[in-house]
Amino acid sequence: MSGLKLRDVRKSFGAFEVIKGVNLDIEPREFVVFVGPSGCGKSTLLRMIAGLEDISAGEISIGGKRVNETDPSKRGIAMVFQSYALYPHLTVRDNMGFALRFAGVAKEAVISQVDGVAKTLGLGELMHRFPKELSGGQRQRVAIGRAIVRKPEVFLFDEPLSNLDAELRVHMRIELARLHKSLATTVIYVTHDQVEAMTLADKIVVLREGVVAQVGSPLDVYDNPDNMFVAGFIGSPKINFIKAKVSSIAKSKIKVMLPNYGDAVIEFSASHSELKIGDGVVVGLRPQHFGTSGPLKFNLNVELVEHLGGESFVYASNGSGELLTIATQTGRNIKSGQKFAAQFDSPKALLFTEAGLRVR
Amino acid sequence: MNGRLVQRTFVYTALSITAFVSVFPFIWLMVGATNTSADIIRGKTGLGTALITNYIHLTQQVDLPTLFWNSSKIAIIATALTLVVASLSGYAFEVFRSRLSDRLFGALLAMLSIPFAAIMIPLFITMAQLHLINTHTAVIIPTIASIFIIFYFRQATKSFPAELRDAARVDGLKEWQIFWYIYVPVMRSTYAAATIIIFMANWNAYLWPLIVLQTNEMKTLTLAVASLLTAYTPDFGVVMVATTLATLPTLFIFVTLQKQFVQGLLGSVK
Repeated sequence: MSGLKLRDVRKSFGAFEVIKGVNLDIEPREFVVFVGPSGCGKSTLLRMIAGLEDISAGEISIGGKRVNETDPSKRGIAMVFQSYALYPHLTVRDNMGFALRFAGVAKEAVISQVDGVAKTLGLGELMHRFPKELSGGQRQRVAIGRAIVRKPEVFLFDEPLSNLDAELRVHMRIELARLHKSLATTVIYVTHDQVEAMTLADKIVVLREGVVAQVGSPLDVYDNPDNMFVAGFIGSPKINFIKAKVSSIAKSKIKVMLPNYGDAVIEFSASHSELKIGDGVVVGLRPQHFGTSGPLKFNLNVELVEHLGGESFVYASNGSGELLTIATQTGRNIKSGQKFAAQFDSPKALLFTEAGLRVR
Repeated sequence: MNGRLVQRTFVYTALSITAFVSVFPFIWLMVGATNTSADIIRGKTGLGTALITNYIHLTQQVDLPTLFWNSSKIAIIATALTLVVASLSGYAFEVFRSRLSDRLFGALLAMLSIPFAAIMIPLFITMAQLHLINTHTAVIIPTIASIFIIFYFRQATKSFPAELRDAARVDGLKEWQIFWYIYVPVMRSTYAAATIIIFMANWNAYLWPLIVLQTNEMKTLTLAVASLLTAYTPDFGVVMVATTLATLPTLFIFVTLQKQFVQGLLGSVK
């Protein structure tokens, strides 16, 4: 199985630069997820790897070979599209065997390969149906089957689950994870859904406006974000950002004060040469970081509660204008309008400069 | 409730009148084909017994097999060539869009406003210089690059999913193979609708064939039917039989491709 290397990869449409110099190493058999908001360039980057978009500058290599000028069909990739892109005039069997037949593989070999994959994916019953006779989930499985039949070095998935309903999406997500384990191939998967990214990936690549904002394992990106954008994008519900001021700086210790919360002080084990006492900073607190114990306590008024059964999301403020989201597993009886004490441990908090960079 | 009844009555009356106006000429045509000219002039509306006689008179006046052969040859070749040229152009104009191609397409559309009468004489002179007068080639050539059909294919191509083209490229197809193996079968209802439109236009073409076809053995069925009317005392029974026969091929093609025709006009890709 092949890995990939992207070196200063750029893409411009006219004067507009969409991908602004991406460097990335993807190991063989790794499941890599490109995640980011709409328009961040994740699908364009995937299409460049596939060979469906030209590369304006830089180099892409698959399995150690430069593929900038290589035809998509000769890159050793297979792609699964958001709309499945099954050929509507061909049956499931013909769709799955199309690329092989086109590559000149003998008819018997095509049949046996297609049947093998169909069996793995449970498509046996559907082989003579046309795409319009299949449900969304079945179409998606056929699209995945069509990709597997080609025995690619690298699988490319472009938001493959976004057209499915919530229940089926969870089911397919599990199937994809299983499939990756059994096939042991390199996978690059594009999504804007951070839950998919967190659950599927070995490595997450967070993209923002054509540049890589952070690369890391899902938990690493969650626990240790490089900037406010990543902290805000990864994690559900979204992290709380609280305005703060530097109150003291000692050797590898920075204390910040929260003016909106009775000048509560949080201490961070961090050093940042450019920060001075009195500088504005931002404290990031994940909704899950709050609890019923801890040295720091915010007294808040509950504005809204979402009860999800297992846990509840409490939206509360102290009248300062900052609405905090708190995730709690003991909040079944909380009602809007009530007083609520949110407590937390300071080591879990994250510190950012006003420009959005992490202070470590 | 009362208002709804009035509305329904109005709609059904309007639809009935439209249906009658559309269908009446056909019924009258077929009834007329069975009557003598005198009965038709007298306004007889029932079926007559002169169908065979009218047919025999028709075959005595015109060389029916040659006319059918000429019309079919021209309509089939022109339809096939127009489909090839227009679908390739429509595909290219939509898939490879650029500022230049959009301007070129705009210029083509503007040409739709030029009436045929304005280009008739230059076209005739061109054909004369190419020594093509009184040939079927001269009838076919000007019809092939039909701007309207190119426009129709270009609009229909908008519903051809871009991801199908991407999937085909990943599967190793070249551009012409994508066109031939994916686009053509996926867009078959568009082709069916276009086939009917082009075939009908060519089968019924009158003015241009009248200008360039000069001998009887080169003429088309439409020209022959029209010439039957120019006789000193036209035999309307014969004209009705000839017209009925002339509508049969288009009717056959329409019935055969009806389902795809409707889908094609709706522009659905499934």
